[in-house]
This record gives sequence, structure tokens and C-alpha cells, in this order.
Amino acid sequence: MMSTETKSAVTPTTIEQPSDVVPTPTREVTTADAVSGAPTELRHRAVRIFQPTRSTTQSGTGKSTRWRIDWDILQGGGRWENPLMGWASSADYMQGTRMSFRSKEDAIHFAEKQGWDYYVQATEINRIPPKNYAENYVYKPNKLRILRTK
Amino acid sequence: MLRLVSTATKPAATGRLVAGSRTFASSSRRQADITLTVDGKEVTVPQGSALIQACEAAGATIPRFCYHDRLAIAGNCRMCLVEVERSPKPVASCAMPAMPGSKVWTNTPLVHEAREGVMEFLLSNHPLDCPICDQGGECDLQDQSMRYGADRTRFHEIVGKRAVEDKDLGPLVKTSMNRCIQCTRCVRFANEVAGVEELGTTGRGNDMQIGMYVEKTMNSELSGNIVDLCPVGALTSKPYAFHARSWELKQTDSIDVMDAVGSNIRVDSRGTTVMRVQPRPNDDVNEEWISDKTRYAYDGLRSQRLTTPLIKDGDRFVPSSWEDALTAIATGLKNSGASGDEIQAVAGHLADTESLVALKDLVNRLGSDNLALDGVNGHAAPAHAVDVRSNYLFNTSIPGVEEADAILLVGTNPRHEAAVLNSRIRKSWLHTGLEVGFVGERVDTTYGYDYLGDSAKAVADFVAGKGAFAEKFKAAKKPMIIVGSSLVEHADGAAVYNALSKYVEQNKDKLLTPEWQGFSVLQRVASRSAAYDVGFVPSKKAAATKPKFVYLLNADEVDPKSIPQNAFVVYQGHHGDLGAQLADVCLPAAAYTEKSTTWVNTEGRAQLGRAAVPPPGASREDWKIIRALSEVVGSPLPYDDVLSLRDRLWEISPTLVRYESREPTSVEVALAGLKTLVAGTASAKVTGAPFKKSIDNFYQTDPISRASVTMAQCTRAFVKGENFGFSELSSASEAAYA
Ligand code: SF4
Ligand code: FES
Repeated sequence: MMSTETKSAVTPTTIEQPSDVVPTPTREVTTADAVSGAPTELRHRAVRIFQPTRSTTQSGTGKSTRWRIDWDILQGGGRWENPLMGWASSADYMQGTRMSFRSKEDAIHFAEKQGWDYYVQATEINRIPPKNYAENYVYKPNKLRILRTK
Repeated sequence: MLRLVSTATKPAATGRLVAGSRTFASSSRRQADITLTVDGKEVTVPQGSALIQACEAAGATIPRFCYHDRLAIAGNCRMCLVEVERSPKPVASCAMPAMPGSKVWTNTPLVHEAREGVMEFLLSNHPLDCPICDQGGECDLQDQSMRYGADRTRFHEIVGKRAVEDKDLGPLVKTSMNRCIQCTRCVRFANEVAGVEELGTTGRGNDMQIGMYVEKTMNSELSGNIVDLCPVGALTSKPYAFHARSWELKQTDSIDVMDAVGSNIRVDSRGTTVMRVQPRPNDDVNEEWISDKTRYAYDGLRSQRLTTPLIKDGDRFVPSSWEDALTAIATGLKNSGASGDEIQAVAGHLADTESLVALKDLVNRLGSDNLALDGVNGHAAPAHAVDVRSNYLFNTSIPGVEEADAILLVGTNPRHEAAVLNSRIRKSWLHTGLEVGFVGERVDTTYGYDYLGDSAKAVADFVAGKGAFAEKFKAAKKPMIIVGSSLVEHADGAAVYNALSKYVEQNKDKLLTPEWQGFSVLQRVASRSAAYDVGFVPSKKAAATKPKFVYLLNADEVDPKSIPQNAFVVYQGHHGDLGAQLADVCLPAAAYTEKSTTWVNTEGRAQLGRAAVPPPGASREDWKIIRALSEVVGSPLPYDDVLSLRDRLWEISPTLVRYESREPTSVEVALAGLKTLVAGTASAKVTGAPFKKSIDNFYQTDPISRASVTMAQCTRAFVKGENFGFSELSSASEAAYA
């Protein structure tokens, strides 16, 4: 397994605080791949567990809270242009599969059950400072550095 | 329920969050929090937040057009209206500060009616051309009108809808100004981020227009971002116009390789072609912006590709099978009689980390240490050596730039070498009292600077404390020196390194503390940090050896004269550019959108790219080619799949596979590094030759962008300043349905 996760430091607080964080129950990993009937080659392909990032063309954050599993494309036989129709053909039966999970843990649990190698991609990092309309009019003592043409 | 959204509670832009390296002094100032109620839920946000941020933190969705997280607030679309207790009218939540204890509703009939009214006014002048609009499917106006739009119009004006002339912003941004809803996001972006002061508004009310005031194109490396920002289809992408719909595209998260910033990108592909490249927000690297080269050079991936192995026969290339090509190399290696250091490998700008490691291992196994880098002076070990990471990395970190209060740029033009990073410097220059000093050939950086000179002498003066800027720098709390990557290519590079590292040593209480590392090197090519990290540099003895066998890995900037006449040359890469011309055998490899590989950016942050489309024809992933070749030349490499190759990467340096994190160098090690740097460059002489710009043409710096038609058009429009009638291009036939 190749995980990009780093363990977050344990906070040394002793005071019991009501928290939003619900402890994850430890779950048993059943070896589903033994009975699932999936081709064994599937076990040789690492899957990626990730959270889709927000699209920059829109302001909505829809679909960026769920976790997904998908597969890297196959080199060589993955996709080609079909000479008959000009559409893309594929020899990769996983290329259209995309799984959604409610949490990272669910996705990891599923991958573990299937015996897949997985890696977890870090989530989007957003650091938006508090914003204020009044900032447009704040007096700056130095030379004026911005020209507003709005 | 108390819900804290991560964005609202993270420290302000000043907070430099590096996992594991936070100390007391770098923890952010504690901001007072306020609590208010949104839709009956209590939320706590930092004081000074806008109401819209508080609503978002409470999980309420607020429709908006003009508000954008990374731009100043304008408050002119009025779509974000909410109801606040004891306020007679609905208030615009983006322009209203969040007040402690106030009660806000975002989902009442009053709010709905107000938003419907706003939408009705917006649509009264908006053309109904969604079916032929490129924004269709990813349009804020389209989506929000599903909820707040009326199904019939109440406006029947005799003069019809407002009509606005389209503007010509150059070969990248297509305008359709009838669709503009005057949110002014594009203007604010141009003013604040890109530093373009000509894009602006004229007129008032219904007659307000967005444009360049004068007949001019929008000359900025970041102009493509206004296409994303525009919430409607007024600004769309010209190269992508009418090529695909957003719902047909497969989205793959990847990493950009056009510069060394390692911008996070999303590659949108359909079938086997890359249709466009979009940014992916990541505040540690590229915020939400990418440069135009990153965004638009993708059409270079379709032309000039090497698709099958080629063997030179006389003065022409003959297509061959992989087997023949690899055997030809093995025979060529034998016949050339190369042994030991006479076998040379040259790593180019677009070589990924996996293939660098595989190639280094192979060449070392063949008994050679002759590992050169592509570019000027690449055949000798660099002046800064590669033993200590902090000597060649951007130690301050990219978000850290915003904390600096004095920056000295030496021999670098970040605007062209790392456009996204440059926008951070500009941001800080606008909002804080940042002072910038500049040594090198004069350029327009989009922010003002104190010009110190153009040669090593200016650096010597600065180090000696002469001049006004040196004093400002001395007085600064968080000073920072950005050294350009072109310095190692310059005759005076070693001397400048010597002077600057002595200066850093002397001022280590400011420039080198656990909280602040102010000495940074800005690399400009994607593979360079990784190459230094894996030690892809020649030993002294090897550098002096004349090679008989040369392996060019993506090396397209090589000086043809540096390759001996009778040497056997192999080129491995994806484009038929300069390197392929010199080769005896060409091996077709995958471009960055076609392989899942590791890239290390200028900060030393390892990031994993991802394959979006398969490589064309018979081309293969780079490391696999090297692995196959190792078998043919009789010293097989010990890894068979990419995971075991990454284990090898980990063996070399764990930082190479600790994805998405940056490992800062500790102060002690950095100091030791500076010591060796000073000792290693002690004998350097100063010639006084002026520093030159390292990039003359921002739009064409690598084989992909040189093969791109869009980048060629940009070169004509922005670099050469030719107006070859973009507006005519999009007239006649297109105007009929645009
Ligand atoms: S062109 Fe687009 S981004 Fe610019 S003001 Fe009009 S709608 Fe807004
Ligand atoms: S988003 Fe608040 S007025 Fe436009």
C-alpha cells in the first residue's frame, strides 16, 4: 500500500470536549475479492481515492464532498480511436467505472475488502482569509499601488 | 450545532501552514471569533468575515455572481441577498460584515422573491443562446436561473435587448459581450492579480461595458483565468471554442510541467485527446490560477509527436519496431566503444522523476557517472552542489512569499519563470508594505521594484550594504532573497552564490531561523529539483570526459555542438524537436498528460501527476522504456512495476514519494549547506557580465509549447506585438452563430 496520508499529531488535551468527530468503529475487512468474481488482474492495478476538487468555472461546490475511487488508465490498450465511427474504443473494463463514497474511510474499507492497492490523494487546500467590503476603502499610508478600473 | 468550516477558521493569508513545522512564533495571530445564527444554526467565524462566508460556514448555499473568494468584494450583482433580522430590506451578504448575534435567513420567501427579481433583471438583457454558448453546462447564470429564473418575460422593449460590441482581447480570450452581466470579476482579477490596468469598465447602468479602453490585447501571462472567473459565457476560451461540452469530458487531476511551480491542474479529455486544461485550487501552490502556457499549450500535444521508434539510416529516419530500436541501441553502444564515463545521459526539462531515477541507475550500472542536465553549463556540476537540498530549493515555500516584507530578486524574472508565484508577490506588494529589489535585466514584473543593477557588482554592493534598498532590506523583519535558476548558467553565478550565501550566514538571525528561511532558489523547469534531489549531476572527472554514447532524455535544449561528432545518440521523448534531430535512434515516450509520474516542484514538494489519455501510437511510459533497454544492454534494472520503482525513489530520498507535502530543511543543515556553498565557490572570479533574461519568449519554452499553434499565436500577438486580425478570424462565419 502506498498512502500519502500523514498521521495528524495527537492533541495533548485531556479535557473531554464535545466534538463533531465521531470515532470510526473498527471494521472487519472481509476478503470480498475471493468471492466477487472480479478478474484477478484487477488486483494488480492501484486505485486512487480522492475527493473531486471544485470546478473553477463555477462557484458551486456540489459533488466535491464525496469521495471517489477510480482507476489509472491502462497504458497501450487503454483507449483508441475506433476507425469505424471515430469514437473512442477501450479494452479497459474499468475506464467507465467511478465509485462514490460518503467518506474516505468507506472508500478505504471498500478497497481493502477488494484487495486493491490504493493511495489517498490529499484534499483541496483552501485558505480564504476573512473578507471585507470595507477593505476597498482602507487608507494606505504608502504610495498608491493599485489602480482600480472598475 | 456548532459547525466550523475549515476555510473560515484557518488563519488568514498570513498563516504559513507547513505540516509538522509550526512553532510558536509562526502560529497565527489569534483572531477574535464571533457567533451568529444562520437559518437557525449557530456558526462561529473569525471577526471581519463577510456574511456570505458565515452563511457558507453554516452550510447554506448562497447564489452569487460577483463575489469570489480570491478577489476583492464588489457587491454589484445583488444575487446574494439574504434576510437579516431587524433589517427592513434584504441585504447583500457579500458586502455585509458578519455581526455577532445577528440572525440570518437564507431560504425564506422574501429572499427567494428578492433573488428572483434580481435574476429577472439580469435575464432581461441576457441573450438566450445557451445552446450555442461555450459556457453552457458550467454556467453559474444557467444553473441559478433554474432555481430563481422565471419562465416568461415581462419586458417587452421596443428596442430589444441590449447589444454590446465584442472586444478583442487577443488569441486566448474570446468575448461575447452581449452575455456580460457586469459582475466585474474580470476587471478585479486584471487589477489585483494580473496587474493589467487597461481592462476596465466604461459607462453606467445599462450602458456599462467591459473592455480595454484602447484597441489593445490583454497582455498578461494569467489572462486565461478570466475565462474561468466569468460566471457567464461573456469570456470564453478561444482555442477551445465550440470544441467540446463540459459534460462530455473526463476529468483527471494532474500536475503541470510547463514551469517548476507544479501547478495543480485538471486535464479534461474526450476519447483520446486532451480538450483543455483547467486549474485545480490548491492554496499551497497555485491558489486558483494557472498561467496561459499551462492552460493553452495542450494543443501542442497533438502535433509533432513521435509515435513510433525511429532509426537513422543515412540522413533519414526509418520507422521500426521497439525490438529493432532497442537492439540498435545495444549495438550502437557496443560499436561506439563507450565505456565508463564515456556513456553520458542528459536529462531534459520535462523528464519525470521515475525516469530520471531509472536512467541514473542504468547509467551507473554501466559504470558511468556522466549525468548531465540539459541547458547551459549542464555538463558540469552546478555551483551550489546538490548535497544539501536548501541550496537549490525554494525554501521559503510558495505561500511563505506572502509573509515577506522585503524581497530581493537576483537574476530572475518570476513573471515569466513562475507566473503564478509572481501573482503572489504582486498580491503581497499591493496589500502590505512589501519592498522589492531587482538585480538583472530590466523587466516589467507587474509590481514596482528598486533597480539595483544588472551584474554581480550590484549584488556585491547590496551585500556591502550600499544603497537605499540594502538598508530597507536590513530593516525588514522577514527579508527574502530569490535567486534565479539562470544564475548557475552564468559566468558569475558561483561568485554571486558565494556573496549571497555569506550574506545569509552573517544575517542568519533574520534569514535563517526555524520560522523563516529567507534564501530561496527559483527553478524554472519542471524536472530540475527532482534531478538535483536524485543527484543527477556529473562528478568532476566525468564532466571532463568526452562522451561516445549520449542518451538524451527529453533533452531538447541541448547545444548540438556539445555532442561529439561520432558519438552514438539516443533520444527519448515525446516531440520531434531539437533533440530528436540529433539522434541516431529515437524512442517515443509519453507526455505529461499520458503518464502517472512524480514531479517535484521548486519548493521540493513531490506531487503525483496522473495519466488522462493514452500515449499515441507505439509510445510508452518513460521509465518502462529505460527498464526495457536495460534488459537489452544486459544489465536489467531491479524494478518491474511502478510501485517497486517508487520504493527505489524512497530509498534515494523519502521526500520524493511523500506526496503533496514539503519537507523543510532544518536550520542546522541549511547552515551547513551554506558553509559548503561558500567553501565550494570561494575561488570564483567576477567577470561583471550582465545577467540576461532567462526566458525571452514566455509562450515557447519547451517542446510542447513550441509545437502548439495557440502558443505561436500568442508569440505573434504578445511578444512580437503583431496584430494579425484576431477579430477578423472570428468574424464572418463565426459571427453568424456567435
Ligand atoms: S465579462 Fe464576465 S467576468 Fe467580466 S464583468 Fe462581464 S460577466 Fe463579469
Ligand atoms: S455576490 Fe453579493 S452582490 Fe454579487
